[in-house]
Amino acid sequence: MTTSSYAIELRQLRKSFGSVEVLKDVSLAARKGEVISLIGSSGSGKSTLLRCINLLENPTAGEILLNGETLLLRKGKSGLEAANRRQAERFRSKLGMVFQSFNLWQHMTVLQNVMEGPVRVLKRTKADVHKEAVALLERVGLGEKLYAYPSQMSGGQQQRAAIARALAMQPDVMLFDEPTSALDPELVGEVLQVIRALADEGRTMLLVTHEMRFAREVSDRVIYLHNGQIEEEGTPDQLFGNPKSDRCRTFVSSIHS
Amino acid sequence: MENALDLLALQPPGWGGNLLRGLLSTIQIALGAYALGLCIGFCGALGKLYGGPVLRWSLEFYTTLIRAVPELILILLLYYAGTDLLNTVRGSMGWDRVDIDGLWAGIYVIGFVQGAYSTEVFRGAMRAVSNDQVEAAKSVGMSPVMMHRRIIIPLMLPFALPGLANLWLITTKDTALLAVVGFSELALETRQAAGATKEYLLFFLAAGTLYLLLTLVSNLLFGLLEKRLRRGEARVT
Ligand SMILES: Nc1ncnc2c1ncn2[C@@H]1O[C@H](COP(=O)(O)OP(=O)(O)OP(=O)(O)O)[C@@H](O)[C@H]1O
Ligand SMILES: [Mg+2]
Repeated sequence: MTTSSYAIELRQLRKSFGSVEVLKDVSLAARKGEVISLIGSSGSGKSTLLRCINLLENPTAGEILLNGETLLLRKGKSGLEAANRRQAERFRSKLGMVFQSFNLWQHMTVLQNVMEGPVRVLKRTKADVHKEAVALLERVGLGEKLYAYPSQMSGGQQQRAAIARALAMQPDVMLFDEPTSALDPELVGEVLQVIRALADEGRTMLLVTHEMRFAREVSDRVIYLHNGQIEEEGTPDQLFGNPKSDRCRTFVSSIHS
Repeated sequence: MENALDLLALQPPGWGGNLLRGLLSTIQIALGAYALGLCIGFCGALGKLYGGPVLRWSLEFYTTLIRAVPELILILLLYYAGTDLLNTVRGSMGWDRVDIDGLWAGIYVIGFVQGAYSTEVFRGAMRAVSNDQVEAAKSVGMSPVMMHRRIIIPLMLPFALPGLANLWLITTKDTALLAVVGFSELALETRQAAGATKEYLLFFLAAGTLYLLLTLVSNLLFGLLEKRLRRGEARVT
């Protein structure tokens, strides 16, 4: 096993949909425990970037490394595909993805949603996982909702459950794609609070968000994406306080939150 | 009609026992054919969704052809042609001719027809499963097989159930077509009883009642199943 100080590393990632190039040569590396926020206007490629990392989209070119291990890719119909399905599945199991629309499994209770991955994918015993899952759900404030179905919960509760589901896999990196964008304003806070706690405990996280104040508070580094390229990156204070590029300055000042 | 009860009595000379035996055969064939149809349909749907061009084209041919041709003709064709084919094969192997057991022939023939319809039901239901749910399964690292077993199949069943319930009712009635190849299910037993006694109205009403009861019980069971499968969905009040 290779050791690397980077938890996740992307090298010269490219992605085209048909003839449209959506990601143009994006390189990015997150040290263990680092929290990186990705900001940028709509259509700049933030979601695509995140989805390429766990191969929900197939990149057109580039390399993806998790803890120094290179994800094996080969040319396929829709771009670079997993060359070794098991390795790709293992990578995915170590990348905790949180979706904008929660994507909880509708036919399972919250507890079952959280236990599913550890039991089925990691093949751990139900008894062990059950204890952990209950503790996780209590931690995100859903101790009373173990047996509720997703359809019976508010958006904020669903998103907290989805975070617990991702955490249950004991991932090395958490990927958040606008986790609060689908929520009513009064529910945003409870989800951000959970994410903040994860940042504070030293998890490696990539966070796509439009919550600028939150990004400024929790991030170690902020990356501004424009037209599929990293236009500017830096500490939150640099990027929000004194952006170098005009575009970034315009973007940052256009969003007050 | 004053002796209707005598005519329907379970013991000879009443014909009720024959009718009930016919009903039992009908249910047996319907259950067998339906189960076979579901297996064919499920595999057919997977083949249509994920198969290569040759498989997909063959399945398209199968579902289109079966759904285009009247069932009565299919049953005559499959029953006689199937028996002939089997005996030709047996003959060329130097084995004796066999008479195919009516029950199994009925199950195969109707199951084969049902398979074409349920292929389409399953295919539609699988495509109706939201991609969000599938992506969540991928993102925790599930393999394709596990993803189908744990996520896609349970989620597609509620979509498939109304269509499948319909197919079950059609199956129970398709069994009546087996009367033309001389298999004594409910319809044939009824015709014989009616012919022997000239009490056509009585016996066909009795048979109609039995089919109706079968339908009502089926609806009840499918209703319970649907409730169970939709347990995670929002209550509509
Ligand atoms: N499946 C797809 N097929 C074709 N084009 C796509 C697809 N997904 C995304 N795109 C295009 O890629 C570009 C980047 O999309 P992406 O969703 O990554 O943007 P984003 O930065 O996440 O935007 P938002 O803030 O609105 O979520 C957009 O122009 C979008 O139209
Ligand atoms: Mg997006």
